[in-house]
Amino acid sequence: MRNSSGNDLVYLPVTRSERTRLPRFYSRILTAAEVEGFARLAVSGLPFDHYVWLCWSVKESVYKYQKRLFPELVFAPLRIEVQQIDPPCGDVYFYAGIVVAQRLVGPTGVAGQTLCSRTWVRDGVIVTIVSEDQQFTDTHWGFSAIDSATYADQSAAVRKLALGELSSVLSRDDLRLEKDAAGCPIVLAGDQPLAIPISLAHHERFIAYSFCSKYVPEMRFSKTSAFLAKR
Amino acid sequence: MDRREILEELKRVLEPYTENKELLRNINEQTDLVKDLKINSSNLVDVIIDAEAKYNIEIDFDSSEKMISVGSCIDVISDKINK
Repeated sequence: MRNSSGNDLVYLPVTRSERTRLPRFYSRILTAAEVEGFARLAVSGLPFDHYVWLCWSVKESVYKYQKRLFPELVFAPLRIEVQQIDPPCGDVYFYAGIVVAQRLVGPTGVAGQTLCSRTWVRDGVIVTIVSEDQQFTDTHWGFSAIDSATYADQSAAVRKLALGELSSVLSRDDLRLEKDAAGCPIVLAGDQPLAIPISLAHHERFIAYSFCSKYVPEMRFSKTSAFLAKR
Repeated sequence: MDRREILEELKRVLEPYTENKELLRNINEQTDLVKDLKINSSNLVDVIIDAEAKYNIEIDFDSSEKMISVGSCIDVISDKINK
């Protein structure tokens, strides 16, 4: 499997909590097993509607991860199953999950793939990253609040945030982001695409990125995270 | 309802989730809901549920996966209305 990166962000206050709790809504996102799985998180005090969006965020992240590898994929939440999700415990402040993407839509008939997720839920913000690596060793990620919720401002801000981190760890000032034919963001140095899969997300006044440095040796010594730095 | 009528109703369904109203007025069957209209993916389930209410239809999971562009939305809605 080639390398990729996937993330997502949901700002809970603009989701409709009453609608989210309706079976006709959440049944389009959660499998029956995932609905049952909510009971395991009762100790965390996570409301059900937040759980629905947490799972959505994980699934969207998995979709983005796989879309880079299989550009013809279509996002189908029920074909991606969160098999395990553990609440924050001790020094671990993430909801840590194991996800299997099954029977994904697309002519290639993609086989199931198991990925790991980490999700931050606090102050109405859900931020998720996914990786094949349970330790997320080569994953860089961050999120930030911004002043505007327009699409243009979100898009510009998340690129600026991600490029700031990329420039810092690569010590380059000629980096830029574009999208490939499938709509996945790509990192370029000048006109040269770099082997750094990157994922961007925004919702309302929040933006987030994740990228993987697995195949960029010079980045491996410098696993910084704007996300962690902000806490 | 013919496709043009469905399209006009669909614009009303999409309106709450579309920032660029000018773009919405000029959509065609090739318009992609996420890539072109910039509808946040977290609102895609809202679009399906609102469409069900607007056209008094039920959209099954398999059909909802096809609702990526305006044209594919019209295909699904037309199919359900005429069943």
